[in-house]
Amino acid sequence: MGEIKQILLCGSGGQGIVLAGKILGYAAFKDGKWVSGANSYGAAARGGECESEVVISDKAVSFPHVIEADFLIAMHPSAYNRYISSVRCESGLVIYDRQLISPKRSSSLKHIGIPATETAVKELSSKMVANIIILGAAIEITKVVTKDAFISALEENMPERFRELNLRAANIGLSMSYNYTTKHS
Amino acid sequence: MCYDHELMAGASKRKLKSALSANSYYFSGDEAIAEGAIAAGCRYYAGYPITPATEIFETITSRFREIGAVSMQMEDEIASICSCIGASWAGAKAMIATSGPGFSLMQEAIGYAVITETPIVLVDVQRTGPSTGQSTRVGSGDIMQARWGTHGAMPIIALSASSVQELYDQTIDAFNFAEKYRVPVFLMAEEATAHLRERVDIPEEIKLFDRKKKAGAAPFGTEESDGVPPMPTFGEGEKLLVTGSTHDAYGIRKTVDSLAQEKLVTRLHSKIMNNREKIIEYEEHYLEDADIAVICYGFTARSSLFAIERLRKEGKKVGMLRLKTLWPFADRAISNVGSRVKKMLVPEMNMGQVVGEIVKYASCEVVPYNQVNGEIIHPHTIIEQLRALL
Repeated sequence: MGEIKQILLCGSGGQGIVLAGKILGYAAFKDGKWVSGANSYGAAARGGECESEVVISDKAVSFPHVIEADFLIAMHPSAYNRYISSVRCESGLVIYDRQLISPKRSSSLKHIGIPATETAVKELSSKMVANIIILGAAIEITKVVTKDAFISALEENMPERFRELNLRAANIGLSMSYNYTTKHS
Repeated sequence: MCYDHELMAGASKRKLKSALSANSYYFSGDEAIAEGAIAAGCRYYAGYPITPATEIFETITSRFREIGAVSMQMEDEIASICSCIGASWAGAKAMIATSGPGFSLMQEAIGYAVITETPIVLVDVQRTGPSTGQSTRVGSGDIMQARWGTHGAMPIIALSASSVQELYDQTIDAFNFAEKYRVPVFLMAEEATAHLRERVDIPEEIKLFDRKKKAGAAPFGTEESDGVPPMPTFGEGEKLLVTGSTHDAYGIRKTVDSLAQEKLVTRLHSKIMNNREKIIEYEEHYLEDADIAVICYGFTARSSLFAIERLRKEGKKVGMLRLKTLWPFADRAISNVGSRVKKMLVPEMNMGQVVGEIVKYASCEVVPYNQVNGEIIHPHTIIEQLRALL
């Protein structure tokens, strides 16, 4: 049986969760994996919890939604609180936006805080690309997709006027994660 | 079990210039339907935007711009389907996509397409109902409407897909069936697959079937064994009358002629029912030694297969039959499986539609599971239901 990785991204409408999920799914597809990607679909474009799910496998995906997340990427407190119960006990990993979320003390899950929004504002003067920074960091930590596939997913899917900004965000994310992972092996 | 061999005897293997090149793509279900239509030779689309089918309209419109085909936004769904019927008589392969409320509006014109034997493809991306319901959420409550929605109901063909790849493949099948049998063909998609993104493999060549043509032949009557008359196009020089009234082989209205009525209705019925074994497709999993069979279709088959594979690991004798064709109904397959298993579980995202058909043909105990909360039926739910039956 092939390896299956289930990734859940969650946040608030407008943060680019759905886009990040689409980019991650496309990157896995570029890596030659079987992928199923789904996301919340509703009238709330801004505000309100939203999620995006990506299931990556070496063989055809039978059930296309996340049953137990190997990785949770969280960008908003209420979404974090709601979806943390979907993370696989013990082996699951939570990657969260350090500025926006205070992790649950009661949780025994491994957590890695990434200063995604903070860095997006400070280095790129745009909160909009925090999603790509945290995604880049998550990709570097989890290796669910290759770095090359992630970059080409952005190149192929981003409208030209946002491409450069997003590529910069991706590279910041990919290189920053190291500082935050050393303590967790 | 597979229509491919016999039905496609008259089909040609080719690749249309405007279709995507052979490769793998990462598509949403709606995008796959649009690309499948283009690959099948669809060159006319009319529609009225509706969630969750709007992305089909958007994708096909932008792709049609590249290839010079026509997509029209009409004033409503009734006008949309009527213009597709017209386009088909003008020689184009035509498609329309909608969801429940639009499907309801189209019912009268569907009957018109049936009696005039007009090939069109209708995609119903099902959502919850009745009426507006919850427009962004999933259901599969239109299965019986597809079969019986238009008055004087005649057999049609309705397909059901479980993956994005299959939405692509079945859109092509739908066009081939429509052209082959001169009927409206329904692709009964669901929000859950329409908005799913998955890999789609597009082959080098695709088998395509175009409607039969024969100069001077009667367009509404035939002695041929398949019961499907050749179909001329307006402008080809044929004397052509197309009417929703009962008509003879040449389209002349016969509004009080009992024999004409009987002959037409019998042929409309038998051209589908006599060929049903060539049309019906289904898929079996783990049924060899199963005590319980899950009978399912659409997205629910994804949850069911996952559930069955989990229970098989525990040594439980469970299997499934997935209906890829909803209409005509796979009566023989159901009766065959029904004689081999002790029980059948029928999970549906409605209050029980296909289960009624299964009860007609299965000799074993048939247990429905119905969920109408706008969510997909989760594998855990199916595992729970199966455990209760084991």
